Amino acid sequence: MQGPEIAWYLVVSALLFSIGTAGVLLRRSPLIVLLSLEIMLNAANLALISFARLHGDHDGQIFALAVMAVAASEVVVGLGLIVAIARRRLDLDVDRLRVLRG
Amino acid sequence: MGDFLVWAVWILAAAGCLGSGLAVITFTNPFYSALALISNLGSLAVLFLLASAEFLAAAQVLVYAGAVMVMFLFVIAYLGDRSEGVRLSGGPSWVRIGAVVAATALLVEVVVVIGMAAGDRLSDPAQVRGSFGSPEEIGRLFLTDHLLAFEITSIVLLVAAVGGVVLGSRSRAEDELDEAEAARAGA
Amino acid sequence: MTAGAWLCLLAPLAGALSITLLGTTISRRTAAWISTLSVFTAFGGALAAFIGLLGRDPEEREVVTSAWTWLATPNFKVDLSLLVDPLSVTMMLIVSGVGGLIVLYSIGYMDGDPEERRYFAYMSLFVFSMLLLVQAGNFLLLLAGWGLVGLASYLLIGFWHERPAAIAAAKKAFVLNAFGDATMALAFFVLMWQTGSLNFQISFQGAGTLSQTAVNLVALGLLGGAVAKSAQIPLHTWLPDAMEGPTPVSALIHAATMVTAGVYLIVRAHPIFELAPRIHDLAAGLGAITLLVAGLVALVQTDIKRVIAYSTMSQIGYMFLGAGLGAYGNAMFHLMTHAFFKALLFMAAGLVIHQLAGEQDIRQMGGLRRVMPKTFIAFLIGSLALVGIPPLSGFFSKDAILASALASGGYGQILFVAGLVGALLTGLYTFRLFFVVFLGEPSPLVLEHEGGAHASEEDASRPHGETVHHGEGPWTMTWPVAVLAVLAVVGGWLQVAGVWHPFGEWLDPIAFGREHLALVEPTVTQDYVTSALAVGLGLVGMGIAWLLYGARRRPVPRNAAVQDTLEHKFWFDELYDLIFYKPAVLATRALRRGVEKPLIGGSISGLTLGARETAGAVGEAQTGYLRSYALAIALAVAVIIVVFVSVQ
Repeated sequence: MQGPEIAWYLVVSALLFSIGTAGVLLRRSPLIVLLSLEIMLNAANLALISFARLHGDHDGQIFALAVMAVAASEVVVGLGLIVAIARRRLDLDVDRLRVLRG
Repeated sequence: MGDFLVWAVWILAAAGCLGSGLAVITFTNPFYSALALISNLGSLAVLFLLASAEFLAAAQVLVYAGAVMVMFLFVIAYLGDRSEGVRLSGGPSWVRIGAVVAATALLVEVVVVIGMAAGDRLSDPAQVRGSFGSPEEIGRLFLTDHLLAFEITSIVLLVAAVGGVVLGSRSRAEDELDEAEAARAGA
Repeated sequence: MTAGAWLCLLAPLAGALSITLLGTTISRRTAAWISTLSVFTAFGGALAAFIGLLGRDPEEREVVTSAWTWLATPNFKVDLSLLVDPLSVTMMLIVSGVGGLIVLYSIGYMDGDPEERRYFAYMSLFVFSMLLLVQAGNFLLLLAGWGLVGLASYLLIGFWHERPAAIAAAKKAFVLNAFGDATMALAFFVLMWQTGSLNFQISFQGAGTLSQTAVNLVALGLLGGAVAKSAQIPLHTWLPDAMEGPTPVSALIHAATMVTAGVYLIVRAHPIFELAPRIHDLAAGLGAITLLVAGLVALVQTDIKRVIAYSTMSQIGYMFLGAGLGAYGNAMFHLMTHAFFKALLFMAAGLVIHQLAGEQDIRQMGGLRRVMPKTFIAFLIGSLALVGIPPLSGFFSKDAILASALASGGYGQILFVAGLVGALLTGLYTFRLFFVVFLGEPSPLVLEHEGGAHASEEDASRPHGETVHHGEGPWTMTWPVAVLAVLAVVGGWLQVAGVWHPFGEWLDPIAFGREHLALVEPTVTQDYVTSALAVGLGLVGMGIAWLLYGARRRPVPRNAAVQDTLEHKFWFDELYDLIFYKPAVLATRALRRGVEKPLIGGSISGLTLGARETAGAVGEAQTGYLRSYALAIALAVAVIIVVFVSVQ
C-alpha cells in the first residue's frame, strides 16, 4: 500500500472523534450539536474504512455505508425537531430546553 | 515519486479534515459551520479514496455532502436570524471542564487501545486487487451476503422520511401564531 | 350405665350447639327451653349412671369408658375416656341437678334480654364443660374441661358486654384462672415426665416412685389451679368482681359448681396430695385463712350479691380445710349442701333484684318481708342452712368438717379454732344481710316496687328483663327456689355424724389403696362438742346481728382503720396492682418508647424516608440538560474502555 500506514488513518479518526465529542458537549446551538454529531459519525466511518483496507475485507465498507444511511435518517429527524422548536418560538438553546427535568 | 505524491495528498486531506472539524465546532455562525462541515466531508472523501474505498468516497460526496448538507443549509436558511444569537458555549463550568476531559480521555484511550490491541498488525495491510472498494464489489455484497442489512437500512430510511414529514407538518396553533405575528409585523 | 354418663356429658353440648347453629331462627324462649331441657336430660343421664353404680358391688364401682384414643405417641397415650365412679357421679348429679334448676330459673330472670339466646348457649356450654371436668378419665381431659369452664365463666361474667365493669371483671377472672391453669399444666408436665401417663390410676401409682420434690411440685401445681378456680387466697380477687354477671350465673358458676372444682380436684388427686403432706397442710391452711378473711370482708359489703359471694369464698374455705386435712367425704358433703343453700340464696337474691328492677344495694332495701313473703322464707331457710343451724343441711356438713379438724392433731386444732371463729362471722354477716334487707319498715324503693315487678323502662345501667307478672316472679323463677329450699332443709340428712354415714361410705371406693377414704375419723365426743360450739357461735353471731341491724338497739361500732381495711378487702387488689399491673404497664411503656417506636416503627419510617431521600438524590441527575446527559455518556464510555482494556 502506498502512502501512510493504516495507523495514521486511525489517528486522524481518533482526533476527529474527539473534536466531534467536544463540539457536542460544548456548543449550545442544537444545529451545531448536530453538525458535531456528524463529525463523530464520519470519524467512525473513517476507522471502518481503514480496517477494511487493512484486512482486505469489504465488510467494513458495507458497514460504513449503513452508517451513512443511518446518519442521514438521523439528520432528518434532528432537523425536523429543530424546525419544530423554532416554529414554537422557543430558544434554540439546549440549555434552555429543560422541560424533561426530573 | 508516486509515494511522495500520495503522502502529500494524504497530509493535505488530513489537515483539511481536522482543520475543518475544528472550524465546525468553533464558528458562531451556523452557516459557516455547515460550510466547514462540507469541506470536512470532502477531505474525508479524499482519504477514503486513498484507502481504496472508491464507492464510498463517491457516496460520501453525493449523499453526505450533496444531500444531507444541503438539507442542513436549507434549514439554516429557513431559520435565518433565529439560528444565531446563542453564545459559543455556556452552562455550568463543570460541563465545560468535563467536556474537555472527556474528549481528551477518549482520544487517548482510543489511540492507546488500538495501539495495544493491534499495534504490530497495523503495519501489514493486506494485498488487495484493483477492484477493491469498487461499486461492483459493494453492490454484489449488498445483494448477497449483506442483503438483510440492505433491506433494513431501507426501512430505516423510510421511517426517517415519515418522521421528517410528521415533524415538519404545521399544526393549527402554529398557523395562528404565524398569522398573529404577520399581522403585528404588518400593522 | 356408661350410656347414661355419655348422655349426661353430651346433652348440654348438643343444646349449646343447636342454639348456636339455629341462631335467630328460633325464638328466645325456645332457645331457653332447649338449654333447660338439655341440662335436665343430663341430669337424667347422671341418674342412670348413679343407679347403675348402685347396682354394683362397692369394689366394682369404677368404670372407665373410652370413646377413642385421642393422642398416641410411643411414650404417651391419652384416651377420650370418662370415669364413672362415686365421686364423679356425685358431681354429675349436683352439676346437672342444681344446674338444671338454675337454667330453668334463668328463663324467667333473663326474659326480655335481647341476647337471651347467647346466654343460654353459654349456659349449656358451661354445664358441658363442668361435666367434662368431673367425668374426665385422665388429667388431660380434666384440664380441657378446666379451661373450658374458665372460658364459659369469662363469657358469662362479661355477658352484658356494654358495661365496662363487666368486661373488666371477666378479664380479671380469666387472668387469675389462667395463672392457675399454668401451674396445673406445669404439674401435669412433671407428672407426665416422671410417670409417663396422665391416666388417674397409672399416675397415682407412678407418683409413689417420685422424689419428694417432684411430688411436692406436682401437688403445688394442682393446688395452684384449685386455688385459682375456687377463689381462695391468694387468687381470690376475681370472685367478688364476677358478680357483674347475671344472678343465675353467679348462682351456678360462682356458688354451686365452678368454684367447687378446686375441691373436686383435691379429692380426686388425693393420693398425690397425701404423698406431699406439706402441700396438703398448705391447702387446709389456705382454706382457713380464706374463710376468715372472706367472713370479715363480708361484714362491710353493701351489694347483696357481694355478701353472698364472700360467703361462698368463705364456705369453700371450709371445704379446702376439710380436704386439706383428709376429710374428703365431709368436704364433698359440704360441697353438696353448699350447692343447695348457696344457689338458693343467690336465686332468692335474684328474686329481690328482679322485684326491685335491678337494685342491688342493700342500703336501699328494707322491709321486703311484707312485699315478698315467700322470698323471705326462702332466704331465711338459706341463711339458717348457711350458718349451720340444725336440722338444716349446713349443720351436718359444716360441723363434720370442724370435727375432723379437731381430730387432726395440733395443726388441725388451730384450724378448728379458725373454723369456729368463721362460724361466728358467718352468723353475723349472713343475718346482717337478712335483717337489713327483709326486716324493718319498707324503704322508699321497696314501696315503689310494691305491686310486683312491673314493665318499666329498662334501667340502662343494669339491663334486666321485665315482664308484667304478679307475685314474686314467674313460676320458672319461684319453683326452682322452692325445690332448692326443700333440698337445703333435707339435704343434710344424708349423713349424720356418729349415726349414719351413707354419703361417706358411698365415696369410699375412690380411696386409693385404702379401705376408707377419710384420713381422720372424729370420735363421737368430738362430734358433739364441735356441733355444740359451732351452733352456739353461730347463734351468737346471729344475736349480734339482731342487736345491730335487726332491732337497731345498738349502733354499729365503727373503727376507721378496720372499716377501711375491710372495705378495701384487705388491700389485695391494691397489692396485686402494685406488684403485677404497674410494673407490667411500666415495662410495656418503656418497651414501646425504647423498642417499638424507634426500632420497629422507626425502621419502617426510616425505610420510607430513606427511600424518599434516595429517590430525591437520584432525581438530581435528571437535570434536563442535554449536555450533561451527553457528558455523562461520554465519561461513561471513557471509563468502560478502561475497564475493558484492563480486563483483557
